Amino acid sequence: MEIQTEQFTAAVKRELQNARSRAFLKVMPPVLNMKRDIGLSTFPNIDAAQAYGAAIRQEAMARLPELLEEFEKNALANGAKVFWARDAKEANETILQLAKERGVKYVTKGKSMVTEEMGLNEILSKNGVEPWETDLGEFIAQQLHRPPFHIVGPAINVAVEEVRDLFMAKANMKEPTLDPVQLGYAARLFLRDKFHHVQMGITGVNMAVAETGTIINVENEGNIRLTKSSPKTQVSVMSLEKVVPTMKDALHMIRLLSRNCTGQKLTAYVSMDSGPKKKDEIDGPEELFILIIDNGRTKIYQDLKARDALRCIRCAACLNICPVYGQIGGYAYGWAYSGPMGQVLNPLLLGLDRTQDLYRATTLCGACKSVCPVGIDHPSMFLYYRSKDVLGDPYWKGKKRPSSEKRFFKAWISAVTRAWLWNLGIRMVRPLINKDVHDGVISKMKGPFQGWFRTRDLPAMAAKTFHDRWKEIKSREAQGEGYRV
Amino acid sequence: MKNVSLFIPCTVNLFLPHIGEATVILLRRLGINPVYHEEQTCCGQPAINAGYQKEAQKAAKHFIKVFGDDEQVVSPSGSCVCTVKYHYPELFENEPEWRRRAEELAPRMFELSQYLVDVLNVEDVGASFAGKVTYHESCHILRGLGVSEQPKKLIKAVQGTQLVPLNAAESCCGFGGEFANNFPDISESMVKDKVENYLSSGADLLLLCEPGCLLNIGGFLSRNHPGKKAMHLANFLAPNGREGQ
Repeated sequence: MEIQTEQFTAAVKRELQNARSRAFLKVMPPVLNMKRDIGLSTFPNIDAAQAYGAAIRQEAMARLPELLEEFEKNALANGAKVFWARDAKEANETILQLAKERGVKYVTKGKSMVTEEMGLNEILSKNGVEPWETDLGEFIAQQLHRPPFHIVGPAINVAVEEVRDLFMAKANMKEPTLDPVQLGYAARLFLRDKFHHVQMGITGVNMAVAETGTIINVENEGNIRLTKSSPKTQVSVMSLEKVVPTMKDALHMIRLLSRNCTGQKLTAYVSMDSGPKKKDEIDGPEELFILIIDNGRTKIYQDLKARDALRCIRCAACLNICPVYGQIGGYAYGWAYSGPMGQVLNPLLLGLDRTQDLYRATTLCGACKSVCPVGIDHPSMFLYYRSKDVLGDPYWKGKKRPSSEKRFFKAWISAVTRAWLWNLGIRMVRPLINKDVHDGVISKMKGPFQGWFRTRDLPAMAAKTFHDRWKEIKSREAQGEGYRV
Repeated sequence: MKNVSLFIPCTVNLFLPHIGEATVILLRRLGINPVYHEEQTCCGQPAINAGYQKEAQKAAKHFIKVFGDDEQVVSPSGSCVCTVKYHYPELFENEPEWRRRAEELAPRMFELSQYLVDVLNVEDVGASFAGKVTYHESCHILRGLGVSEQPKKLIKAVQGTQLVPLNAAESCCGFGGEFANNFPDISESMVKDKVENYLSSGADLLLLCEPGCLLNIGGFLSRNHPGKKAMHLANFLAPNGREGQ
């Protein structure tokens, strides 16, 4: 997947003109938020349930190396084969090699953000292994060559007419229709055929249970279960933070994930795989590979503050509540992870230099933090990234800020710490700020503050600041005039 | 007369001094004597938000020197209170003495409506207004401080006033300090939504407790809907506080 995080502003402009996405964004996030509220209301104590989730993920990340070892040991004992990949390249090569060794012409895939992150589909296609996405939305997005618009509904913004044309052209649909049920059926027939002959399936992992070596997937379409159970060879790709200590922990995280994501108490399908098909079992893959990919996570783990980002379980509650996502949708974030989730993850995975806008395009409103089931403090993370960027921090590839900005804050702080200079400074900048005052307001200003004035006025800077007025009040009172403002 | 220390945010000091004046009038009316330290400047929030931690530390130290001995500090802004309450202790991770002082100051910081309702136990300040108003839940007041009922109680107690609901009241107005200027495309869309919700609420007046939101929403109204007003709660509640609005 092409990384376009540096084209944020251009993409925002484009998406704000996209009438269809805009209309859609007015409806979908509020509906999902409402469903989430209803889902969460089935907990006897919502705050306690969320805090429990945060504690589980916090513990899992604190014990990450130990839990991964335990998971590997138990997965091996179950008969799975475990691979480790340092980065996307190693992971893609491993999967490609598995496919080549087995003479596989195509694979079916369950929706998996980590394989988006790895750019797996491009690598497979280039090397003669056709990847078929089997999640309906992901299938549409893949065929249209578009990135996911929303992590849960990747193609949820695509017009039904566009889906009709696509299915006529690429999914063997016989008669044109706009009926969603018929469209779904067409995709189902088309993909069933793929499942029928598939030799290798690739999915992500929602949770990996250390104490049992089990990998868990949640979904609503059944395509992941088919992808995991139809072929002889199953490859499950997990970024290394997916591990949780116990099955009990995993079950609570499933409760939280379903409710926070789609408002369901439980998704329609939950698949738990502990090893490949055993001798006395009638179905399941004959070989199960679990590929654990780092791709920058160890580096995140080593920074105690950044480590909190690894708690994320990709529920997308933060996207649905985010007022910025609600305006621009998922494309502008430029990579696999969008919304506040992407704003927290992408800078750590790609570097602060390539993601400048992601951790600045936020009002720090804290809506994301307020819904997060694993206790990520998004605004605090953004401030952390900004501070590292200002320092030009080499570990996170900070870029350093323009010298004009640095000079501004240098001058600013020398005034902030000296009230006389602060008040003198105010008197000095007032004529500059108030250059174009009319009717008590400023409607335009040259220089770095133009963004404000495009559609907004600013009150003129007061001839007498509160500070001045207070001094006047005090002197009047001293003369016995009593209090008046 | 009980004293309370007054912290006036930069936005109020420079652009919206009538909010500060209304705060003074309101407190005096309730029998409280506001004390304004003339040494006060800025809490440092712009530096924290821009990532300039070292500068922010200096601003925080100045603030703590000025306000550190006060029994209680009240401010007509939630985001400045959040800065002192939550960000100051974080700034001094490696300076335990300053951290201690910041942590001691934190629980003594109050946003105005919070101070009136939770500390003074006042709801009816004796104001009246014939008309419908609605209330914007500013992010740092609602989610930062958990203050939402307090301003509504104060509004509901105003004689003749009907508080009507605001659709998406909890949604950010798009201010975000430097965000509004640096990402105008997104910010304008957000404030436009906020204003549309205000217009469709049927209210005669939009009330809020955050000067930043007032600059943003008020600035948009001034340009695009000159007949419609937004107002800080202090001005709404103080006698003669609505003049010149």
